[in-house]
Amino acid sequence: MQQPPGPGAPGGPPQQPIPRAKPASMATYKRVLRKEYNRKRLEPEINFLNITAMMDMMTIILVFLLKTMSASSASMPQSNDLQMPKSIMTSEASQEGVAVLISKSHIVVDDNVVCPVPSDPTHGIEGKYKRSGPNDLYIVPLANSLQSWRERDKQVRAATGAKDLRSEAIVIADSNTPYRLLVEVLFTLGQTEFSKFHLMVLQGAKK
Amino acid sequence: MAKEPERLSAQQRSKIRRLTDPKEIAPDEEGGELNIVPFLDIITNVMMFVLATVSVTFTATIDTAPPRAGGRSSAKPDQPSLGLTVIVVQDGFSVKARGGNVAPGCQEAGAGLAIPKKNGDYDYALLGACAKRLKGLSPDFAGETSVTVSANPNIPFQAIVSTMDAVRKDESGECATDKDGVWAGVGCLFPDVNFGLAR
Repeated sequence: MQQPPGPGAPGGPPQQPIPRAKPASMATYKRVLRKEYNRKRLEPEINFLNITAMMDMMTIILVFLLKTMSASSASMPQSNDLQMPKSIMTSEASQEGVAVLISKSHIVVDDNVVCPVPSDPTHGIEGKYKRSGPNDLYIVPLANSLQSWRERDKQVRAATGAKDLRSEAIVIADSNTPYRLLVEVLFTLGQTEFSKFHLMVLQGAKK
Repeated sequence: MAKEPERLSAQQRSKIRRLTDPKEIAPDEEGGELNIVPFLDIITNVMMFVLATVSVTFTATIDTAPPRAGGRSSAKPDQPSLGLTVIVVQDGFSVKARGGNVAPGCQEAGAGLAIPKKNGDYDYALLGACAKRLKGLSPDFAGETSVTVSANPNIPFQAIVSTMDAVRKDESGECATDKDGVWAGVGCLFPDVNFGLAR
């Protein structure tokens, strides 16, 4: 028995295309599309924190802190070599003038070591650094260093029209510095036309 | 008879599905911001570490000037002045006023150390009281603010500073410079310090 040829079979009658469903009207399509949009829309969530404002604030605080610390003497080296004496003074530290450091081992002017301090400084700096022997108070390397500073300061003061042409010095000495050594440094400062000294101390001592 | 709702065709349904599929946001499109939260963590840690390790010290300065011939007293030549001098020695304070030595106890003129050490320490409280008493001896000394401090060569700087503190002001503590740099305050004793040269 011969099978009738299937649809599309060669030799059979031509296949009729499946009728496509009639598309809905544009209005219906848009309504459904809108409804789907609303249904699937993601809830707005905070994926990141906007911390730009906080960063601005922190940067300002950081700059302020660094500025204050560098301007004040809080950054003053406090080591075994240099421990400042304590005082009841509460006034603000003066920042004007050349910084002269007297530590246990060296005398330093503006970050430049000018001469060593002997292990027993009760008789002051060694005689070879003095103008005329160990009994003199004038420390030659210190004076040389201060003179160049004084000349520069004098020119700056004259150029800026400052009324006061006197130079100032900030003396930062170790609390165990003997009086003799302190006087030698002050004497040398006086000899090189420095006329006002600020002795740096730590606040907080009790009377 | 109610109208049957329109049905979308398969193509329309497919297109709607495609259009309304939620898209993942690419990492580089995420708000257009740099994620600096880890960076902030580091900064916060570093800042806390720095603040914990830096010891903030408050400093002050004591102003002084080189010794001048005749001192800095504003007293007229015919007006008596105290001319207070404190010499720090190994065993205590030697005080000189009006050209003479102050006797032990700080009551009258005479030889000896005015304020000897107490229990091995300098008696700064008694030195302050002595300076106050000497200043109160005469109304002529009321305006005198300068003191000369001298010491033995081996006296440490800390003792000099404490001596200056002791004679600077009394217990009331009311002593400060005004805008002209002049000392003012009822508590002022001898805030202007000059150093004596120990030769």
